[in-house]
Amino acid sequence: MKKIELDGVTYRYSPGTPFCKTALDGISVAFEENKITGLIGHTGCGKSTLVQLLNGLLTPTAGTVFLDGEDVNRKGNDMRKLRFRVGLVFQYPEYQLFEETVAEDIAYGPKNMGLDKEEIERRIEMALHFVGLDGSLKKVSPFDLSGGQKRRVAIAGILAMDPEVLILDEPAAGLDPSGREEILGGIRAYQREKKNTVILVSHSMEDMARYADDLVVMREGKLEMQGSCAEVFAQAERLTAVGLDVPQITRLMGALKRRGVPVRTDIFTVEQAKEEILRLTGGPRHA
Amino acid sequence: MAQPLISVRDLTFSYAGEDRQEGVEGDAPAVLKGISLDVEKGSFVCILGRNGSGKSTLAKLLNMILTPTSGKIFIKGKDVTDPAMTEDDMFEVRRSIGMVFQNPDNQLVATIVEEDVAFGPENLGVPPEEIRKRVDGALAAVGMTEYARHSPHQLSGGQKQRVAIAGIIAMLPDCIIFDESTAMLDPQGRREVMNTIQALNREKGITVLHITHNMDEATLADRVLVIDGGELVLDGTPRQVFSSVRRLRTVGLDVPQVTELFSLLREEGFDLPGDVLSEEEGADLLSRYLKENEKSQ
Repeated sequence: MKKIELDGVTYRYSPGTPFCKTALDGISVAFEENKITGLIGHTGCGKSTLVQLLNGLLTPTAGTVFLDGEDVNRKGNDMRKLRFRVGLVFQYPEYQLFEETVAEDIAYGPKNMGLDKEEIERRIEMALHFVGLDGSLKKVSPFDLSGGQKRRVAIAGILAMDPEVLILDEPAAGLDPSGREEILGGIRAYQREKKNTVILVSHSMEDMARYADDLVVMREGKLEMQGSCAEVFAQAERLTAVGLDVPQITRLMGALKRRGVPVRTDIFTVEQAKEEILRLTGGPRHA
Repeated sequence: MAQPLISVRDLTFSYAGEDRQEGVEGDAPAVLKGISLDVEKGSFVCILGRNGSGKSTLAKLLNMILTPTSGKIFIKGKDVTDPAMTEDDMFEVRRSIGMVFQNPDNQLVATIVEEDVAFGPENLGVPPEEIRKRVDGALAAVGMTEYARHSPHQLSGGQKQRVAIAGIIAMLPDCIIFDESTAMLDPQGRREVMNTIQALNREKGITVLHITHNMDEATLADRVLVIDGGELVLDGTPRQVFSSVRRLRTVGLDVPQVTELFSLLREEGFDLPGDVLSEEEGADLLSRYLKENEKSQ
């Protein structure tokens, strides 16, 4: 089911000045409930503008943003409540930490939502669990933590608000492979339990293949493609043409196909590739 | 054997007393614990390691942003850890070992691309006509000539990083250290920067030290170093290093997807090599294997 939707949305920065720039150009796209949707596109294609429209930080120049079928910018809509419902984790969120302890920092959102003490405590525990931080860190100053840990505290602060729509802009940027896996795996576990709507922005096609259900591809402020990971990654040439890429394993399948091997080319994880090769050879080679 | 461009002997470093750096993990006093290595002139070396392993600290020691706690660093045979180093000597080290950082928006200082590239040589006191030549040459080397008079803020991430690289090239360095310079770029930006790095290494003979979390980029290097917990744990060609799938996982790293697939197929009893890196090479081997197996059935 459609959870949040842009309908014919145009957004211009500095309209009516010589610096006017059209960031979104009449884009219509919907994000499904109970899915992780990956949002990909070349730098400057309008991804960040789009996510800021979703929680009302920006107002469309033209067109409408719908949450559960209702115009989020309608007159009299409580924008504060909207931002409790649509949580946005910016890039490098660790620079936004400010409280004295990890627990207080995570509690900031829930407190502003007016939740009672026990509920806030419960939310802190839940959020710490999903980002993989130990409860013993609750009383520690977030500024004494490593970069990776700070990142997790910042993400936990949004998870604790339990938003219906959770948007994360490059949550794993700059982390090593195991750090990426811990953060993105935690976000997926959170989504699978809450069954909410998650929108993930990333430049890593491998991460998208591993963690997203669907993909939305943007190009110059417009929708270029939308579909499951298999549908989108099967179009390797089109993705490359818009400055993106497919996972290396998908390129391998393409290269095999070009050599006359009858493999499927809509494969995007290593596990799927292994199954496909086993299918072709009729099973393992064990003697 | 020719003298290495960089020689590091028993290098240790701790941030105690220094300003604590962003992204350094835990309270462990020693970030580097006795590293020794040589980097040959003209080589392309990739440095891998998890967050907080000490990679960036090593890079900052090599161009004297940081001073070692103990141990020696030799650049072109000269001991740069010698307390008798003059300020001029230090400037010379920083000129010859350039550094490009992660965030493309934090490295450009001028409002016009070519002025930004000229910033380094101007500070070195290079005569104006020579600066002109160097700036043109540097922009050509990174494929940004047509943007010489543009404003940097209108460029894409990959283009900004190429301008930052041109700014280093204009100082005629022997070596450039890229400290996760591709981390914030989209796939096209990554391709642009990696192509530029390879061209500088091959065509201009510039020694490259590339720090990255991207395993595919590391396959392009001549040599891969893996640092973990402040120690050098693996050192070899990409083929040698990436065939250690399990070992890499224990230090928080990964292998290219094609390497991983071959490793999984070997576990299933397929007679395939374990040191495959690229998709083209993998496709050649796998298609041949599949055809041969068809015949034998």
